[in-house]
Amino acid sequence: MKKVVLFVGTEKGAFLIRSRDRYNWQLEGPLFKGWKVTAAGRSPDGRFLAASASYVYGPLLHISDDLVQWDSVKDGPSYGEGRKLEQIWTVAATRRGLYAGVAEAGLFFAADPMGPWKPVQGLNDHPTRAAWQPGLGGLCAHVVLENPENPDQLWCGISAVGVFRTDDGGKTWHPRNRGVTVAIEDKDHKDIGFCVHGLALNPHNPAVLYRQDHLGMFRSDDAGDTWQRSNAGLPADFGFPIVTDPDTGAVYAYPLHSDEYRLPVGGAMAVYRSTDQARSWAPLARGLMQEGGYASVLRGAMDVDGLSPCGVYFGTSSGTVHCSADGGDSWQQPDCLLPRILCIKAFVL
Amino acid sequence: MAHVTIHLPSILASLVGERVVPVDAASVAGALEALTARHPALGQALFDESGALREHVLCFHNKENTHWHAQGLGQKLLAGDKLTILQAVTGG
Repeated sequence: MKKVVLFVGTEKGAFLIRSRDRYNWQLEGPLFKGWKVTAAGRSPDGRFLAASASYVYGPLLHISDDLVQWDSVKDGPSYGEGRKLEQIWTVAATRRGLYAGVAEAGLFFAADPMGPWKPVQGLNDHPTRAAWQPGLGGLCAHVVLENPENPDQLWCGISAVGVFRTDDGGKTWHPRNRGVTVAIEDKDHKDIGFCVHGLALNPHNPAVLYRQDHLGMFRSDDAGDTWQRSNAGLPADFGFPIVTDPDTGAVYAYPLHSDEYRLPVGGAMAVYRSTDQARSWAPLARGLMQEGGYASVLRGAMDVDGLSPCGVYFGTSSGTVHCSADGGDSWQQPDCLLPRILCIKAFVL
Repeated sequence: MAHVTIHLPSILASLVGERVVPVDAASVAGALEALTARHPALGQALFDESGALREHVLCFHNKENTHWHAQGLGQKLLAGDKLTILQAVTGG
C-alpha cells in the first residue's frame, strides 16, 4: 500500500498527516510555525513546494525533498516596484515547468522550482488588467490547469475576473467566460467580472471543464469557450473547491449557502459528487455532521490522491480535517483540531 | 567596518536557523545587506518591492528606532552595536 501524506496549510503553520492505510492517520508539525501557509505543490522532478505568507513579512516560496526539511527559494516570484505581491495562491506543475498564481493577480513561471520565477506578461499585463476587481478573498490568480494532451493550452482562474485560456503556451491569454453569470460587470470589458472560485479539468477529456463560481456551478464542453449551468442536485450555488478523480473522472464540490452566509445549508456538512460530468450531483455525508455542522471549506482546501478507490480530503475553516478512502462514500476525521485551514495537498509517496 | 550583531524575531530565526547573526558593516543598511546576502530569503521578508523596509518591520539600532533617526538606515555603526529586527504590533 502506498503511503499518503496530507500537507495541510493553515493560518498559523503547516501540518503533515500521514497514513499507510488511509484510515489511521498521524499528525506531525507544525512546520512554518506562525506563518500563514497558503499553497503547496510538487515539481515534475518530485520536489515539494510550499508557499508561506505573513502580514508583516510578505510571501515566500519554500522547497523540500522530504516535506520535513525546507529551504527558502532565493529567486521566487516578485513583481518588483509598482505592483505588490501579497500571497502565493497556487503552485501548479506542468510539463514545461511550474506556475505560481498570486495576489495581486498574476502568474509567474519557472522552468526549475529554484527559479528564476519570471512574470507571465501576457496575463499579468492583459489589456483588461486595469478593470480587474478583487473579490472578498482579494484579487488573486488561484488555479492553473494544463491540457494533458496539449502543453500549449492552459487555463488560469482569477477571482473576481474570470477564467483565461492560452493556446500558445502562455504568450497570450483570452477570457473564457461566455455563459457564466457575471459578478462584477465592467462598463467596457464585458468578458471579465466573473468570480471563479474553483476550476477543474475532466481527466479523460480536456475539452470538458468544471467551475465553481460565485454565482453557480458551470460546465464547459468546448475547453471553456462556452459554459452551461450545471447544478442539478446541488443544495446551493455558492462554494469554493472543485476537484476531479483522475481515475474515474468523478467531480467533487462542497456547496455553501450563498455568498451572504457561506455556510453548509442547514448545518449539514456534505461533499457533493457527480459521476456524470457535473450533469447531476449527490451528497456524500456518511461520517460528516448533519446537525450543527457549520464549517466551510476554502478554495484550496480539498484534494484527491489519485489512488483507486480515490482518496478525497478536505479541511475546514474551523480546523477539522476529513478523509475518505472510498471515493467519498464515507468520511473519517484524524484526531486533530488545527488552525483555520487554507489548503490541503495529498501526496502519494 | 564594525563587527555588530543582528537579532532576529523567532519567526524569522526559524526560517534561517539562527537567532543572532554577526556581520561586519559600516552602516545599518550595510549590515542588513550583509544579513540578506547570508540569508537571501530575508531580503524578501524584510524589504518591499520598492526596496524599503516593509511597513510593519522595525529595525532598532541599539535602543533607537531607525525610522526616527535622521540618517535612517544610513546610520553609521560602531563595533559591538546591536541591531534588532522587530515586527510592529498592530491591532489585536
